[in-house]
Amino acid sequence: MPDIEIEQFRGEARSWLAANMELRPRASRLGSSDSRTPEEIAASRILQRKLFDGGWAGISYPKEYGGRSLSAAHERAFREEALGYIMPDFGGAGHVMFGAIGRSLLAHANPAFLHRHIPQLLSGRELWCQFYSEPEAGSDLAGIRTSATRDGDRWLLRGAKIWSTGADHADYAMCLARTDWNAPKHQGLTWFAVPTNAKGLTIRPIVQINGAAGFCEEFLDDIEVTDDDIIGEVNRGWTVAQTMLVYERGAGNAGAVPVEPRRLAPDLVTVAKKVGRDTDPVARQLLARAHVNDYAQFHLGRRVAARLRSTQTPDPAVAAYGKLAAGTLAPIRARIAVEIGGASALAWDAGDISGPRQATDYLNGRMGSIAAGTNEMQRNGIGERVLGLPREPSFDSNKPFSEVVRAARNWDGRVG
Amino acid sequence: MDPSASDDQKMIMDSSARLMDQLCPLAEVRATTYRDAEFALAYRRRASELGWFSMLVPEELGGGSVSDNGVLDATLIAFERGRRLQPAPFVGTNVVAYALAEAGSPDHKAKVLPGLTSGETSAVWVPLPTAPGQGISATRTSSGYEFSGRSTHVQDADSAAWILVAAETDKGVIQALIDPTSAGLAVSPLDSLDVTRSFAEVKLNGLEVSAAALVGEGNARELVERQLALACVLTTAETVGAMDHDFEMALQYAKDRTAFGRPIGSFQAIKHLLADTSLMLEMSKAMALAAANSVGTDDGYGREAASMAKAFVGDCAIDLAQNCFQVFGGIGFTWEHDQHLYLRRVTTDSALFGGPAWHRERLCQLSGL
Repeated sequence: MPDIEIEQFRGEARSWLAANMELRPRASRLGSSDSRTPEEIAASRILQRKLFDGGWAGISYPKEYGGRSLSAAHERAFREEALGYIMPDFGGAGHVMFGAIGRSLLAHANPAFLHRHIPQLLSGRELWCQFYSEPEAGSDLAGIRTSATRDGDRWLLRGAKIWSTGADHADYAMCLARTDWNAPKHQGLTWFAVPTNAKGLTIRPIVQINGAAGFCEEFLDDIEVTDDDIIGEVNRGWTVAQTMLVYERGAGNAGAVPVEPRRLAPDLVTVAKKVGRDTDPVARQLLARAHVNDYAQFHLGRRVAARLRSTQTPDPAVAAYGKLAAGTLAPIRARIAVEIGGASALAWDAGDISGPRQATDYLNGRMGSIAAGTNEMQRNGIGERVLGLPREPSFDSNKPFSEVVRAARNWDGRVG
Repeated sequence: MDPSASDDQKMIMDSSARLMDQLCPLAEVRATTYRDAEFALAYRRRASELGWFSMLVPEELGGGSVSDNGVLDATLIAFERGRRLQPAPFVGTNVVAYALAEAGSPDHKAKVLPGLTSGETSAVWVPLPTAPGQGISATRTSSGYEFSGRSTHVQDADSAAWILVAAETDKGVIQALIDPTSAGLAVSPLDSLDVTRSFAEVKLNGLEVSAAALVGEGNARELVERQLALACVLTTAETVGAMDHDFEMALQYAKDRTAFGRPIGSFQAIKHLLADTSLMLEMSKAMALAAANSVGTDDGYGREAASMAKAFVGDCAIDLAQNCFQVFGGIGFTWEHDQHLYLRRVTTDSALFGGPAWHRERLCQLSGL
């Protein structure tokens, strides 16, 4: 049961926000890009500190670590009340930090670690990021090759990481490394907390195809950490990773429920009218397709939620339908925009904002089909866990990982 | 089909499923037993006891539904029918019963409607044209109207007791309930891709229609639009049922069939195809239910939702049947295997009451574009 009735809580939030925070200008759009300037980050840190001091950061985090020990419903209520105000905005890094990272730390780190770091995280003094994917391990996350080697009472981290959202602004990273190369791949992994100013660590922003830089790559050159920096248990890192993935896939879903789309693809209709194609039967078919897909995707989301609610033992694998639908339909929609826009989506006057938007959406169109679990991984999940199809034979889950790496290099297709 | 279905709804679906399995399993459909008038009548009577033809008719006219959304109830029945490729004009009879209950003459309500809801007779509906070269027009005469034109591919037009025909006049749309034996009306049975149902061409050549036969006073356009939405929702639901069963068969086959030393469903080439196909099926179910809810609760977006469901499912159904065919491989080419019956049925459904492209254009127009 909540400690404070939600409505009373909402009222308190409302008056605190009115007294302490600044209203958001009406026209400002909620950030869709993940890149932030150092000045923006500094401003967000100040706002985060303000929330923390007022008791509004980590509402559903435990009290002993600086939170309020209230429910997710309280958290949601506060977020709704705060919609009209300028709030700390760390981009996608914020979702990861207060969602996947914070929750995994709470679930697996020891109390001393949590006392040391969680209040810092909630107050914006320590921004956290993930060192997870690697140049050689994306979909196959358990196949990471960054190693942590025991050296007396310290560990030395060596390897490369990539796709770390917001690492260039972070103070700490949660880093996955291999601590036992002779164990099967899921059984030799350990998580470490790494300060981003550690000696031997290089962080470089990655410029994306649309010119923005929301992600970074890192090079770890014998970075020194200690047992105190271990999150969870040595060689049991995959358990932590699984917690993290659950929150990562749920990240961003805690916000408002999306509304049933009832207007025919307004953004695309604007483009069609602008180029005089709103009466062109070919363009009209495309506009209708886009809207029908939007509508179908919305109702699929509802259906998946209803399916999850309707059984005592919901199978989270069903949620892969939502991810696969998004990953399949987003590229189609981006293509439709470019097709309707024609020349205007390919070249534009320097002052025009509509042309570059279609081009940017087009370039970003495959984000959903690759990031946070590719379409192929969703298809495997649906095929094996929802439809009950047999798994592919596995060549890497039981042998020592060092052997797996060697065998993959010498792959000859002969498996017995 | 519907994870939120009530116990009452589940019960009527189960009873309906049992009736179909007992009375008209796929073997009977293959044998075209449904062409036999006595069989058809006996089937309708039994089905009517489960309320199959009453769900869109208010209680005071002898109708009634399981929940407070009769369209959704009928949709759930239609889904079960589709799974078993059931013959007979379920969609037509329900749409005509709805039209008569809404706007029929006192005579229609007293003499025709009870026959439909009790299963004694069946009816089909000829909508406004959804393809070039089709369509019926009406001109005023001293005693009523004269109907001329044609509609190809009307399901069960050769066996229905009544045909409701929508026609364009120079002053709007009218509808008339016609006895198929009337002079000036020719119904010619057709051979068809779909062998699970009968189709016929309806030709009207100066058919005289009295004012008493009209359904809907003055301009019936709005009524005809609502009927179209209903026909789309119910047809779509039958399609989704057929998709569901076809997919189930293909999935089982992928688990049972072995090649290269393992079940073919363990190969990603097949697994991913089936995963994509099951996504189409999930989205199609979601669309059919969304449209049934929207039309059934009159929430102001029913016509759009029905057209969207018809367009989306019409495309997905054909893709699904083609994908399942590919999973079956050679066996799918045999007459003996059921796969081709499903392919035939859903491909035909996709075109009935307007194909996907027609409904996309309609969506644009409904959206003011």
